[in-house]
Amino acid sequence: MSLIRLEQVYKIYNPGLESQVNALDGVDLTIDQGEFVAIIGTSGSGKSTMMNILGCLDVPTSGTYYLNGAAVSGMSGRELERIRSSQVGFIFQGYNLIPALNVWQNVALPLCYQRVGPKERRRRAMEALTQVGIADKAETRPSRLSGGQQQRVAIARAICTRSPILMADEPTGALDSRTGQQVLLLMRQLNAQGTTVILITHDNAIAAQADRVVRVKDGRVVDDSLWHREEARP
Amino acid sequence: MNALIMALDSIWEKKGRSFLTMLGIIIGVTAVLVLVALVAGYNADVTAYYEKLGVNKVEVEVTWYDPTRSTDLTDDLARYVNDDLGQLTQGVTPSHTLSATVRHGGESAEEVTVSLGGTQWDVCGNYTLDRGRGILDYDIENASPVCVIGSYLTQTFFPYSDPIGQTVTVNGHALTVVGTLYQKDGSQEDSMDNCLWTPYTLDRVLLGSAYVTRYTVKVDKSRDMDQVMTALERYFAQTVSDRLGEVELENGNAAMSESTSEMTSMSVVLGGVAAIALLVGGIGIMNIMLVTVTERTREIGIKKSIGAPKWEIVTQFLIEAAILSSLGGLAGIALGYLLAAVLGQAMYGVVSFPGALVTVGAFLFSAAIGILFGLYPAVKAAGLQPVDALRSE
Ligand SMILES: Nc1ncnc2c1ncn2[C@@H]1O[C@H](COP(=O)(O)OP(=O)(O)OP(=O)(O)O)[C@@H](O)[C@H]1O
Ligand SMILES: [Mg+2]
Repeated sequence: MSLIRLEQVYKIYNPGLESQVNALDGVDLTIDQGEFVAIIGTSGSGKSTMMNILGCLDVPTSGTYYLNGAAVSGMSGRELERIRSSQVGFIFQGYNLIPALNVWQNVALPLCYQRVGPKERRRRAMEALTQVGIADKAETRPSRLSGGQQQRVAIARAICTRSPILMADEPTGALDSRTGQQVLLLMRQLNAQGTTVILITHDNAIAAQADRVVRVKDGRVVDDSLWHREEARP
Repeated sequence: MNALIMALDSIWEKKGRSFLTMLGIIIGVTAVLVLVALVAGYNADVTAYYEKLGVNKVEVEVTWYDPTRSTDLTDDLARYVNDDLGQLTQGVTPSHTLSATVRHGGESAEEVTVSLGGTQWDVCGNYTLDRGRGILDYDIENASPVCVIGSYLTQTFFPYSDPIGQTVTVNGHALTVVGTLYQKDGSQEDSMDNCLWTPYTLDRVLLGSAYVTRYTVKVDKSRDMDQVMTALERYFAQTVSDRLGEVELENGNAAMSESTSEMTSMSVVLGGVAAIALLVGGIGIMNIMLVTVTERTREIGIKKSIGAPKWEIVTQFLIEAAILSSLGGLAGIALGYLLAAVLGQAMYGVVSFPGALVTVGAFLFSAAIGILFGLYPAVKAAGLQPVDALRSE
């Protein structure tokens, strides 16, 4: 049984209007546990839309999404909350940090919803911040950080829950190539420990390091190939 | 627990906005409490006035068309009231008054209410004899130049000496003090204690004229008022013929009940004003809570997308709204009590506070409005798909 399965998933904005957009136009996709998948495609091709559905942050207009064999569309709000809290670590394209909380509080926030005690929350938040290399900014407000630093805080927030699935929408978009490589290395390590990683990227060099690349165009999967990392490396 | 901390954090984070939210409630609750307290104070003031004045009185005024053909009814009326109506009444007295300057030694008292009364004047006027004696039949028959003085005069003229046997002058006429009255109205110059009781037969001396036309009949129980009024009407129909004059009878309790009903309608109007004040406060809360939630829909979206349960988000807003509106309510109560005390003291000289029921009611009402209006937008926002909440600006 595969971990994730999309069957004929459509996401249609403004249906019937002149401005109708088929952001997802009949997507079939299967991802197994432990995979490291990169999703690539041009801007506006529907990558974020797909990722939001995979992360249970949005619902498809039609089609079915199976997670661990269970149809997500039939789930209650409670069950979806539980999936978001304990199954998926999500990194947004736009970081989405809470301005009123400082860096480590932002990172620790998902742990609150898992009923982790305050001491342990802080310890794990600091650990995650160390992994992305900005533990020294723990007490700072997000608004005082650069884009790349905010992105790393967002990554720390997603990894500190140690969820079995990590979804990242352009996690290296705001990072220089060296820091980007470090983040990628971190994801490979997590993947090696069993985490399923799905990431969106524009960067072919990043995509080349994935085990599998899914190319999206106009809301459809147009190419889906397994690579051997050794082959892909230049 | 989490929700509580987050709520407190966010209240503290946006102190200005939190204060504005509370302001509506503070104003509403304060307005209600002050209005209620002032109405209560006014009621108490009026009631106290009538109580001091004395209740169950029938005022009689006889108008003779030709003063030379008048009859002195005083003795006859006294006999009728005390004998025929003795079961129902406490007494009757002529009740002519004048305002005069009273002097003793170097001291003087202005605007003293000088009453030309009979022997039962004290009973009819709700006064009690303190020292000495009252005005007696003997004084009336002989037009003795004597008087009984009210407590304000006693205080002014004889703070350390015995007033009995001393002489005071009323508009220049010397009167011997034979008695004093107990204080019944605070002993101030503008009180009912600034008075003097002297035989009505001194009217020729003090007024220069000699006919008594006003009487007060004191009835024992208020339920007998109508019966006494009817009896008096019948009495005067026989004694004062239509051709010689006319008689007007006034039920003293009617004036009181009139001002009581005035107070009731005033309370209703002010109650309406107070309710509007509370409602405006409530709308203020609603507005600010709405803005707050819209402003924070993104935050709600972020929290939802990292796994926050809907109920926890709603609880956070609930706690926030509850804290803000109850703090506002408490501040409103404190301010309301303070203002009620200050204004009550200034306007009526008595400190009257709004009742516990009104206080609790205003508090609960404002808290309910705050929570209701605060919660509604939060529940709506927390029900959105995370992406939809995140997209909101
Ligand atoms: N809320 C929305 N309403 C209408 N159209 C939308 C909405 N969200 C996305 N779209 C449209 O859906 C299409 C896919 O958008 P999506 O964000 O998935 O693109 P993307 O592949 O992530 O692009 P990028 O690489 O620029 O992030 C776009 O054409 C976009 O205009
Ligand atoms: Mg995108």
